[in-house]
Amino acid sequence: MIGAVNTPAIRLRGVTKRFEKKTAVRDLDLEIPHGSIYGLIGPNGAGKTTTLRIILDIIGPDTGSVDVFGSPNVEAMRQRVGYLPEERGLYQKMTAAEHLAFFGQLKGLRRKEALARARDGLDAVGLGDRADDKVETFSKGMAQKAQFLGVILHRPDLLVLDEPFSGLDPLNVELFKQLLQERQRAGATILLSTHLIEDAERLCERVCMIAGATKVLDGRVRDIKAAAGRRDIALSFEGNPTFLDAPDLIEDISAHGTYVEVRMLEGADPQALLRRAVDSGALISRFELIEPSLRQIFIEKATEAGLSHEDESEDDEAAA
Amino acid sequence: MNPFTPRVAAVIRREFVLRVKSKWFLLSTLGLPVLIVGLGVLSAFLAVRGGTDVGEERRVVGVADPAGLIGDLLVEELLADSLDAVRAGGMEEFSVDEARTRLSDSSYDLLLMIPRSAGRRSAEMPGETPDADEGEGDDERTTLLARASVPSVIEGSVRGALQRASVRARLRSIGVQSVDPGALLQRTSFDVINVTESGEARSQDIYRALSFGIAFFFYFILLIYGQMIVRAILEEKQSDIVEIMVSSLRPWELMLGKIVGVGAVGIAQMAVWALVFALAAVYGLTAGASTLAEAGIDLANIPVPWGTLVLMFFFLIFGYLLYAGMFAGAGATISNEHDAQQVMLPITMLIILPFIATQGVIQSPNAGWGIILSLVPFFSPLVMPARLFATSVPVWQWLASLVLLGVFVLGAAWVAGRIFRVGILMKGQRANLPQVLRWIRHG
Repeated sequence: MIGAVNTPAIRLRGVTKRFEKKTAVRDLDLEIPHGSIYGLIGPNGAGKTTTLRIILDIIGPDTGSVDVFGSPNVEAMRQRVGYLPEERGLYQKMTAAEHLAFFGQLKGLRRKEALARARDGLDAVGLGDRADDKVETFSKGMAQKAQFLGVILHRPDLLVLDEPFSGLDPLNVELFKQLLQERQRAGATILLSTHLIEDAERLCERVCMIAGATKVLDGRVRDIKAAAGRRDIALSFEGNPTFLDAPDLIEDISAHGTYVEVRMLEGADPQALLRRAVDSGALISRFELIEPSLRQIFIEKATEAGLSHEDESEDDEAAA
Repeated sequence: MNPFTPRVAAVIRREFVLRVKSKWFLLSTLGLPVLIVGLGVLSAFLAVRGGTDVGEERRVVGVADPAGLIGDLLVEELLADSLDAVRAGGMEEFSVDEARTRLSDSSYDLLLMIPRSAGRRSAEMPGETPDADEGEGDDERTTLLARASVPSVIEGSVRGALQRASVRARLRSIGVQSVDPGALLQRTSFDVINVTESGEARSQDIYRALSFGIAFFFYFILLIYGQMIVRAILEEKQSDIVEIMVSSLRPWELMLGKIVGVGAVGIAQMAVWALVFALAAVYGLTAGASTLAEAGIDLANIPVPWGTLVLMFFFLIFGYLLYAGMFAGAGATISNEHDAQQVMLPITMLIILPFIATQGVIQSPNAGWGIILSLVPFFSPLVMPARLFATSVPVWQWLASLVLLGVFVLGAAWVAGRIFRVGILMKGQRANLPQVLRWIRHG
């Protein structure tokens, strides 16, 4: 069913895509392992949507190679993929069951099978009694459920989701996450893009950060954080704060009364700071090494590379 | 490779089912037969009503003929035509004011004024239009004055009576007294029958009418269904669904599905119409068979030109595919209804122009330019079917026409596919011509 475990589900090599005025993706290498939940993160306009479209063969790259499921057979790939674009609509005049069955048929399901799955799926998300109502009568939340069902109806091996949680009502966010994890347990690979880095941090095992059409960093979230090092310390104390006057150890301090966040100088030993605090006679109630957030790492790396990490004005231009 | 993969079939099915289930389909499919029958009934009804109108409330026509040119004869003729008529005295000079007073005072509904000057030239009778070389504008003209608007039936009666009275007056002046002017003014007519190479004889008038009907029908179908294509493609963009679609099938598959699906709706609609008219024809002809037999028409001998019908169907299908491809390409360059009107206009002109040309071709279906137009793609889907009905077209002509048209269909599909591939993902502003040309070149 799925290719050899050691070949990645998706592999991009040196992919570049230019539109009329700007480069949307520049020399991108990407490897997404089977069965992982993979996050493509970066601000709007960074090139996330274009990358997804290239993976799905909606548009072709100018240079570079794209390899999905270890074979260049695009036709077979289409049937194994479910895609939820950022702009996700439904044909308003169709009934929910008909609509989902139509999506299923596009993915190669027989009509009867597709209809049965559509009804089951609608039942499962609590829309069973609305299966034969036209989509135009649905509330926004109901339409969101139907859209999501349409993407997983054919039980794809690869789910590609562009900003899946933007605009969702909170209940649906939970439902979507559940359904995604269900798919992952069934062996599917999940690739999602988001500009909300916190979402990716909670959900993804691996991420790729892009800014200004260029990859900044990729890998396991755990490894990325470990590599960034633990240089931030949360510190609560009572007593004289003079021990914090230590330019040989500390790069930056943000004080909130008796709670202080400290950034250590690169290579400085947190234990040294702790010793000085104790020696100064201050009463330490908390001394904790904090993991940097993905957002902090991202901003740091993007700035280092001289890439814009601010939101650019426009989202990815359509293929032009 | 078979282009009709299951997923294309799914698109075709969706387009077809949704449209056939719509209110629009029900109304337009039943609407046309109802409209045709309704118009028939209405005109028959009006014809009957119109007749009784004149009989029931008789109009009184006053005839003012101060010079006494044909007044008495005219009154006779009007009375013979079931209108009341009297001579009206006075009115020495033509005057609208006086006429108005007379109309409101007297019991006339209408007042026909024959000016004195009408008799000055011996060659002319009242109401006759002088020839251009001898007439000049200063003469007063024979005028019918009325309080309210004059029904055309009555206007016709008055005109006929005036004409007959003129004829009688003229005959009298050369000494002929008693003659029936109606007989003199009898209309003449004859049938024109084309004897074709295959030996069949057919009535020219009927086939000309059919030619026009066919051309009009094709024109109508191409226009309506072409616009439906544009709307079907706009629907993809406006419902934000197009990206999901193109992740499942290739843009050209989506385009193919839309064109074939909408076309299938058209075929279904025509099938219903054909059935309705066939039933009506069978019923009508059976009911009227005895009458027709009296008139010397044997039903069994009315030839149904099956070959021509089948051939025409091909021209319709090819024509539809040609225009549908263009409409689809145009539809992919826009994102809203407003722009739709603009991009459809040039294509619509390409349908209207051949339709106008067709009307000339029907009059002389074997003229050189008619033959040429029937071979030129864009013109041929309308012009050739019209010629097929109006005359007997040599095999090489329709075959060449069909082949040329086929080549253009493929060409249009290729160009439309290139435009569609890029355009379908565009949102917002309408693509301009240089952009579209670039898409065609590079895809």
